[in-house]
Amino acid sequence: MKELLRALAESDREKEAPPEVEVRLRAAFRRKHRRRVWPYFAAAAAVATVLLIRIPKPQTMEIAVVTPSVPVLPVAEKPIAVHQKRRPPREIVTEFYPLMEDPMPFENGELLRVSLPAAAMRSVGVPVSEDRLTEMVQADVLVGQEGLARAIRFVNTSSNRP
Amino acid sequence: MQPTDYELLVGMLAGDEEAFTALYRRRQGPVYRFALQMTGNVVIAEDVTQEVFMALLSKTAKYDPARGSLASFLYGVARNLVLRRIEKTAEIEDYAGPEDILDDLTRRETVENVRRAVLSLPPVYREAVVLCDINDTSYEEAARVLDCPIGTVRSRLNRGRSMLAQKLAVRSSV
Repeated sequence: MKELLRALAESDREKEAPPEVEVRLRAAFRRKHRRRVWPYFAAAAAVATVLLIRIPKPQTMEIAVVTPSVPVLPVAEKPIAVHQKRRPPREIVTEFYPLMEDPMPFENGELLRVSLPAAAMRSVGVPVSEDRLTEMVQADVLVGQEGLARAIRFVNTSSNRP
Repeated sequence: MQPTDYELLVGMLAGDEEAFTALYRRRQGPVYRFALQMTGNVVIAEDVTQEVFMALLSKTAKYDPARGSLASFLYGVARNLVLRRIEKTAEIEDYAGPEDILDDLTRRETVENVRRAVLSLPPVYREAVVLCDINDTSYEEAARVLDCPIGTVRSRLNRGRSMLAQKLAVRSSV
């Protein structure tokens, strides 16, 4: 019996997990380690931004509702020219990258616009070329009800290309 | 001088990816083979190996060096995962054994017969045989992995061996 079991042991001696398991685990290790560092960095950036920048509150407008006292005129054949306001520059945003592991359920929070060195993007896996690491980029940091940064996304505007 | 498992673990906790990789390369083989010999399924063995090291990444604090070696700890995690898989699948068929194992002339066939016979043992005996008779784990270490007294390991091993002997119909016992 022992000899038969030895034969089985000998036959399996070289068997190992395939290399892709190691690749997956190393990727998980990098993600985990990155997440540990990031919350502090992002939270610090968010706090600094709050202190330095006053976030303009949206202004409320009072709208008077007027009942027309004259009959409604028929629609003009030519479209009436409407003066359109100039649109703000269009923004393109990345997906949100999580900054916390196993966060509490999200109840409410704030989205804060911050400026960060482009090197920060690398920390969440977004590729950035070496020569642009020190450039400042804009990002939105999602701060949860507990006051911690939960996720970040990067913003690409005409003057800011992540 | 090679760093110990514990030194690598500490390096891993400090964020040293090379320490984690070295630890993985040193310990993945036994974990993978244990899972393979317990389930006979390479896909499950691969999954279990990955889950064991993922658990090490996320719950390292649970490993207590005072309670045994890291190798035992990893076997223990692998054992729990394997038993869960066995409960879920329950697809390992019973193996009655060949008419006469000596008729299976090639060594490969013999090994596969033994493998199937081991796989057909109830898990409680199978894990004792896989750990002690195939992977040379000491009774003390097996007792820690299986979370039972050493005497229980011995008795399970004896019972497992005799069941194997019956299944394999070794000529000397026929």
